[in-house]
Amino acid sequence: MKWMSLALVVLALAAADVLAQDVYLKIPADRPTKNPLEGNAEAITAGMGAYRVRCADCHGMDARGIRGPDITQVWARGRTDPALFSTVRNGVPNTEMPAHPAPRTSDLDIWRILAYLKTIAPATAEGPSPGNAGVGENLFATNCVACHRVGDRGGHLGPDLSRIGVARARAAMAKQIRGNMADVRTGFQPVTLTTPNGQEIRGVKKNEDLFSVQVMDTRERIQGYLREDMKSVNDEKKSVMPVFGPDKLTDAQLDDLLAYLESLKGNDAAAPAADKR
Amino acid sequence: MRRWCVRGALVVLGAAALVATVAAQGAPPPLVSAQELLDGLKADGSRWLMFGGNYTNQRHSPLTQITPANVSRLVPQWVFQTDTPGRFESTPLVRDNVLYVTGPLNVAWAIDARTGREIWRYKRELPPTGSLTACCGLVNRGFGVLGDRLFMTTLDAHLLALDMKTGAVVWDATLEDFSQGYAATIAPLVVKDKVIVGVAGGEYGIRGFIDAYDAKTGKRAWRFYTIPGPGERGNDTWAGDSWQRGGASIWVTGAYDPELNLAYYGIGNPGPDYHSESRKGDNLYSDSLVALDVDTGTLRWHYQFTPHDLHDWDATQVPILADLTIAGQPRKVVMLANRNGFFYTLDRTNGKLIVGKPYVVTTWAKEIGSDGRPVILPGYVPDEKGSLTCPDVTGATNFWPPSYDPSQHLFFVNAREVCATYYAWKQEYVPGERYTGGAGQRATGPDMRAFGALRAIDPATGERRWEFQYISPSTAGVLTTASGLVFSGDAEGNFLALDSHAGKLLWRFQMGSALHGTSPITYMLDGRQQILVPAGGTLTAWALGDVPRVPSTR
Repeated sequence: MKWMSLALVVLALAAADVLAQDVYLKIPADRPTKNPLEGNAEAITAGMGAYRVRCADCHGMDARGIRGPDITQVWARGRTDPALFSTVRNGVPNTEMPAHPAPRTSDLDIWRILAYLKTIAPATAEGPSPGNAGVGENLFATNCVACHRVGDRGGHLGPDLSRIGVARARAAMAKQIRGNMADVRTGFQPVTLTTPNGQEIRGVKKNEDLFSVQVMDTRERIQGYLREDMKSVNDEKKSVMPVFGPDKLTDAQLDDLLAYLESLKGNDAAAPAADKR
Repeated sequence: MRRWCVRGALVVLGAAALVATVAAQGAPPPLVSAQELLDGLKADGSRWLMFGGNYTNQRHSPLTQITPANVSRLVPQWVFQTDTPGRFESTPLVRDNVLYVTGPLNVAWAIDARTGREIWRYKRELPPTGSLTACCGLVNRGFGVLGDRLFMTTLDAHLLALDMKTGAVVWDATLEDFSQGYAATIAPLVVKDKVIVGVAGGEYGIRGFIDAYDAKTGKRAWRFYTIPGPGERGNDTWAGDSWQRGGASIWVTGAYDPELNLAYYGIGNPGPDYHSESRKGDNLYSDSLVALDVDTGTLRWHYQFTPHDLHDWDATQVPILADLTIAGQPRKVVMLANRNGFFYTLDRTNGKLIVGKPYVVTTWAKEIGSDGRPVILPGYVPDEKGSLTCPDVTGATNFWPPSYDPSQHLFFVNAREVCATYYAWKQEYVPGERYTGGAGQRATGPDMRAFGALRAIDPATGERRWEFQYISPSTAGVLTTASGLVFSGDAEGNFLALDSHAGKLLWRFQMGSALHGTSPITYMLDGRQQILVPAGGTLTAWALGDVPRVPSTR
């Protein structure tokens, strides 16, 4: 009996070895507990291409996040290979992250992408933020809350930041606050409409077509306008978000604000803020 | 009990009398003859019997009731909704006031053209989730028709004949095993007594083919492999055994010239799509136009637009036939606005190039040489790092049908101005799995404006006559009419009517979904010209509200 078990183990190990060597072997029906393609050079190459084409629009070429979250920290934060596989396969409900069903996306495709992602993800998590989250929350209340929402508090002109702590790396948030990000998220592009009598309507663009534009103006009024009714409709180059340079926000204050933002991890994390109303 | 028997007997007697009456009148003649297919779109507007309206694929109607002056008075007559997920990419057919249309997910309908009410509905069960390999949407591009039968391809790579009166299956032919990567979405081309179709699967390592089936029996009459086998001419344009899984699928309906007895088909991309080393050589007949004898399937000539394609620029665009005068000479031509960015006018008797001019920004080739081959510029081979090239993967245009107005000699196409970064890597072939060896990603950024335009092109010169720009690329087909109208749509769901002479916008309506991959059709119904618009999962019929109905009571 014992020798038989041993033989089975040897066989299994041999099979695992073959699997690791051959990217193109069918993945077993039972989902592996570890990415069978991790470290496989060919899989990483294929995964890189697939990542760039299918993930980079939202997560960035460097996976540091654009519209979608920074995903270089996923393993460092304790997510497992099968959990990440499920996230890619099934998407994240109520977010922009879509499901990637078979047959368009095979199991192999997903493992390849994860194999590549692993090569650009640091093994350890970023250290704790040096700032003071409590001080940061006050800074947020003074400077940001008019436009950004956390939980059920704040404005609507800018993106909701209730989950920003899991969605963005600290460095990316710092860049955004300092005004060094070129990209403006879809739905928040600045636009200025000029009426025939010269009045200006400033806001962010929610949608548009050849004949109309739908905006939220700076008073948070949502409204659609026909282009033909306007003297002009101009897309602005600069984001509606003000630039917070060191003159407005010292490096130490930035650290405090970042510490607060990093603590925002969804509805549960936002609850204390809601209690303070 | 006895009374019941008597009543039953009376019912039987009644039914017998009805049968006797029908028999005495004789069965009505078949709805569509081969001659009617040859006649194509008639001035009485009574029919639309094939994908492109007629065998030339011109999608140009002789109807003139709706004009540039009155098009703004169009009002909706009814809306049909599929109540099925997915959208129409299909060209509906119309005969005797009934519409016949295929939809997504192997579903099809007969619809009362007067009211939009369903007459029958056909649904073929899909294979279990995950087993289908159709790469790009579970769609269908329309019926073919002959006699009292409709012909429809299926996602699981079958060809069906349906009874026009009931939607019942008359015969069912298997094109290929769908589990090996084959699928079918093409609208059949019916010529004489044959039904001509092709298979999709160019991203799954198939070997493509065009088949003809006997319309009566469903028996295969001939097969033309779009990749030559060993010993056949052109097989040496594929390194090693790469021909076995080279793709070259066919999913856009061809054109037919009855005088030359030739059918013209645009052939799909070679596979794997992006990886050069996997299939050295020209890779015939991928990315080519082929002219086949419709009786035998014999190749008469071919013209390859993109030899050794590395950008998924398949030639599955709609070929259009016309007779032109070029340099004082009458020419029988076939025209194709290609995914690779060039517009081509070829002599359809022999496949020789007459015009080959870019109609969007193209960076990969300097020009089309006098030998008919593109003069390729260096630096546009996809690799692991990525190479920026125009046009993008979706291409300068794609499968959405263009239109041609023979009175103005103008070709109308929805063109795309988009560039992409192309990646490539080596990929082993696994049967039934996606086999692309790379991918393309649309280029974005401040200098990379992506937009679309409806363009009117003179096929004698390749020059642009006019354009109408959209804010983003459109995937809508085009319909033109003899009254000087162009109907099309943008990606944001606007259905548009323009003046075909100058490209001026005349009228628009927000449909709620784009006319993706399809165009409106037009026909007469009770004295009023109808414009039928497929958009998303809806069909909407439009007519002039102030033209009185003259009901036909035949």
